[in-house]
Amino acid sequence: MRSARWLALGAAFALYLSAAPAAQADCNLRTHQHVVLYSSTEDPDVLLWDSRFRLRAYHAATFDEAQELVRHARLAPGGTHAVVESCVPDFVDSPLFERPADAVGVLIVSGKYSGQRGWVLGPDVRP
Amino acid sequence: MLALVFAVQGAFQTRARIADTFDRQSQIQAAQLELEELLRLQIDEENSLRGYALTHDPFYVGRYRASTQDFDTKESAIRTMLVSQSPPHGLALLALLDEYDRIQVEWRRDIAVPVLAHPNQPLSEFERRTDKAFSDYETRTVAQLRDQLAGVNADLARSTQTQLDRTSYVRAFWLLVFGLLAIIFNAYSSRLGRELEQERTTTEVLQRAFLSEAMPLPNAEIGAAYQSGSELAVGGDVFDVYRLSDDLALLLIADVSGKGVDAAVLTAFIKFTIRGIALRRRDPGAILAEFNTAFAQTVENPYLFVSMFVAIVNTRNFHVRYASAGHDSAFVRRSHEVQQLAVTGPVLGVMEEPFETKQINLNAGDVLVLATDGLTEARDRSGKMVGEEGAIALIAQADPAPQRLVDELVAKVKAIGGNRLRDDLALLALRPTSVGIGFDDA
Repeated sequence: MRSARWLALGAAFALYLSAAPAAQADCNLRTHQHVVLYSSTEDPDVLLWDSRFRLRAYHAATFDEAQELVRHARLAPGGTHAVVESCVPDFVDSPLFERPADAVGVLIVSGKYSGQRGWVLGPDVRP
Repeated sequence: MLALVFAVQGAFQTRARIADTFDRQSQIQAAQLELEELLRLQIDEENSLRGYALTHDPFYVGRYRASTQDFDTKESAIRTMLVSQSPPHGLALLALLDEYDRIQVEWRRDIAVPVLAHPNQPLSEFERRTDKAFSDYETRTVAQLRDQLAGVNADLARSTQTQLDRTSYVRAFWLLVFGLLAIIFNAYSSRLGRELEQERTTTEVLQRAFLSEAMPLPNAEIGAAYQSGSELAVGGDVFDVYRLSDDLALLLIADVSGKGVDAAVLTAFIKFTIRGIALRRRDPGAILAEFNTAFAQTVENPYLFVSMFVAIVNTRNFHVRYASAGHDSAFVRRSHEVQQLAVTGPVLGVMEEPFETKQINLNAGDVLVLATDGLTEARDRSGKMVGEEGAIALIAQADPAPQRLVDELVAKVKAIGGNRLRDDLALLALRPTSVGIGFDDA
């Protein structure tokens, strides 16, 4: 009976490890880590997406498609503070990137979007 | 020759291809530099607009407009460079440049124009997001253009290297071909030269063996000379001085039509056959007639014929009985007067005809000069022939000593022909030193 309980606990832990979108080693970020958002492009503001899939779609889209997608994003000024809540490694691909970039789930903790959650591109997150 | 034409044509084609590739590569490299400048102008545009939105200073409007104008000019210049690139590179690059230009035009329409029109009205949240998208996609398009230009540049560099490599291989191939051809030609030429030299040597050996030695005769001085008209072939001239007995000698000079080994062999046939006949017959006309019969029976070549002068000389009284088969280059010089001896029958090998025998008597100091047609038919550079009269004049002016006389004649004939002989030349001269009494039938 006791061994069955330990088995169930182990299985639950394994399920947690595999399903949790928490920061992983590839992301170089820890959950609850405080970060600053700052874009690596010429415009330092960072797009904060309501879904990591839209984040991915934006970087793979044509310019016309991207203009439609930005309706689903907010623009956080460069320098906005945030806390890392999750990270999906190598999730976003783009002709710009040498290798796929991470999608980072953050909680904004400064500025007018403070308290809001969203997804940002890994290179735009500065520890 | 064909290989040489191919090699030269190939070299020119390769040069044109490499020049074209270099030209395209230099266009791409120029486009790379211009693209960076274009990006700087785009950022200038955006910064000028931001400056105006923040300060409302008209200076930024002027800077914005200047940047806009420069951007369009630069974009047009890059387009011209890319148009010269062949597809598919050129088309892909132009498509990206079109996309870049479209995004910039739309940015001006959707973002810049409203800001310039209402500088006091800040951009809406959506306009700012759109502005960000413009910025992201311009960055992306420029990055793609940059990558593609670098790729094309690398391709062209590789292509140039490949063409240079190919040129080296082709050059090595043609060098090998020409080298082999030269070796083959040289080997063939050497072989041909060896064969010709061998034939010449053989012929000369034969002629040396058969050619008349000037056998000394009593009471007379003999002069003789033989010069071949060609270095590669020897002729068919022959002379002979042969003692038939104590008081009689055979003098022979003949000219065989043709050159080479055949003619040389025939001269041997002439020399020994005439000697053999002369040992039995003492009448020059009969000697020629018998030889003519033997010649017709022995020599099958219908194109060969012989002109010949035969004389039987009594070396005591120097009565000379002679017959001439079409051989008109026989002269007697008495003091400075020269008389030509007439022919007494047709050339040998043509028809069966009797040959008349004639006689002349030589006195001490007279010179009998026998020559082949190399003397009378010698020509100067303008083509004028010495002729019989010219030959008579040359003999008349020459030194009376037989050997010096013939040497002088050879030198003069050479001088007339520009230091070379066009035909073989054989000369024989006989001068009695003392004339006594003797019997003609000795």
